[in-house]
Amino acid sequence: MESLHKMLVITQLARELAARGSWCGETHLQKATYLLQEIAGVDTGFEFVLYRHGPFSFDLRDQLTYLRGLGLLELQPQEIPYGPKLLPTDSAQALAQKLPRTLARYQSQITFAADAVRDRSVAELEPLATALYFTKQSGFPKAVSARAEKISEVKPHISRDRGRRAVGEVDKLIESAKKLKATTRN
Amino acid sequence: MATRIFDVVTRPENVAPKAKALLSELSSSDTVAYWRRVLRMAALCHDMGHLPFSHAAEFLLPEGTTHETISAAIIRSDAMKNIWNAMTPPLRADDVVKLALGPKEAKGMQFSAWQAILAEIIVGDAFGADRMDYLLRDSYHAGVAYGRFDHYRLIDTLRILPSPPREKNVGGDGAESGVELGVEHGGLHSAEALMLARYFMYSQLYYHCVRRIYNVHLADFLTNWLPGGKFTTAVDAFLKLSDNEVNAAIGEAARNKNKKGHDAARRIVTRDHFRLVYERNPEDVKINPEAGKAVYAALVKELGKGTVHHDFLPPKGGAPEFPIRMNDGRIASSAAVSETLSKLPVPSVDFVFADNTVAAAARDFIEKSRNDILNVEEN
Repeated sequence: MESLHKMLVITQLARELAARGSWCGETHLQKATYLLQEIAGVDTGFEFVLYRHGPFSFDLRDQLTYLRGLGLLELQPQEIPYGPKLLPTDSAQALAQKLPRTLARYQSQITFAADAVRDRSVAELEPLATALYFTKQSGFPKAVSARAEKISEVKPHISRDRGRRAVGEVDKLIESAKKLKATTRN
Repeated sequence: MATRIFDVVTRPENVAPKAKALLSELSSSDTVAYWRRVLRMAALCHDMGHLPFSHAAEFLLPEGTTHETISAAIIRSDAMKNIWNAMTPPLRADDVVKLALGPKEAKGMQFSAWQAILAEIIVGDAFGADRMDYLLRDSYHAGVAYGRFDHYRLIDTLRILPSPPREKNVGGDGAESGVELGVEHGGLHSAEALMLARYFMYSQLYYHCVRRIYNVHLADFLTNWLPGGKFTTAVDAFLKLSDNEVNAAIGEAARNKNKKGHDAARRIVTRDHFRLVYERNPEDVKINPEAGKAVYAALVKELGKGTVHHDFLPPKGGAPEFPIRMNDGRIASSAAVSETLSKLPVPSVDFVFADNTVAAAARDFIEKSRNDILNVEEN
């Protein structure tokens, strides 16, 4: 993906999250981008590794800092004790206006990822994204129990039941994304 | 420095109950002693894979290789394995690699919560010993005072703390699950001083335009001088090539027109470096976020490729956010507590340079055609 388009996709994702009243901190943007890439099929090119709150991309972290440096995202501190939000600026809106066709190309996938993340807390996103991580890992058993067990193994604070629920949610999201992709193609 | 941090954060009276519960390793003195030694060795080995002149010409490594992968190869080499095996108890080379590289660079290795914290002590964005060490060392050697900060006070107040709440509850349970390196409230100003030192060092020293252009000329020289235009990754040969060998070669090539890399070497030795003709600025970014790239492309069309250079280096790492234990015991995000940190600018590099002979023409051209150059056209 061209770098300018990547800027547009990430800032638009932040805009869509904020518009839905979702918390829009780094963790939410990380997980939303992961879903955008792995389920909605937008190849942002970020490499995700299993980290503190599930799949995490250090490249995406760099990109978010870059976007802040350019003035396309701004760090908005919140009341004590909460972490900051990352919100798009007027310059990000101006960029979207300059690239209408690119925005149209990715809009439905961005909407899908923002909808999937919107009402979930960081604690809920962690099992969901971790379930997706093992679901997408090539050669990993597809059985719900195997994936749930693996989640509990690498994240001992996530119970097997919670892992099982997360796997179910991921499978549902993957199913809905198939419809999305079919619609996008048509 | 890394060992000092380790000793402070693992001291029983400093460990938060949640950290104790999550990090079972802390309850075994043998385990703590083993990892203390691994951490110390990892900190010492972290930069072993640095090339001559560190990061300047890292792109001349073969595809898929970085200085971190070379560090890992050296740590796993037979010579180093002999050292690990001679220790009591012996150290596992892979444990040293994990902590030396951290989760970002140790591709394919999974980190437990304990290993992630220990790696953070060395390579962490906020309080990594590597970062603290290079700021202090570089400011000393460069003769600038703004890289200094009270690292004694900072280290004394570092703690392993629960992650701060990153959101107000949005549906469901908003509790955080992990632990991170953070500070007691009393260390906040020292932490701010570290982040400010980092900002000043990057914006005034590491990213100074003249320092950056010498990177470019050095890389140009190495491209011509190295066999095949690339660094070797064979550990023995790699370790034989230091700044000294490269400095001697630059001197020789600068004096002899027939030597490979003569032009770049001459530029370095005689200070005939390319001149800065454009630097990205906030006004231009509003028109085109990739302003430097656009200016470079326009100048290449106008003046030809060999006389201009685009130097672009996006920032690395995240926002300076970490947990703080407030005086009332609550854990809070640094972004909520410190106005200074939440407003810290992000330094980066987006320069266009031109040969001295065409620099004035380049500046004139940019001034006259700025709007056309920066215009974003959708494909």
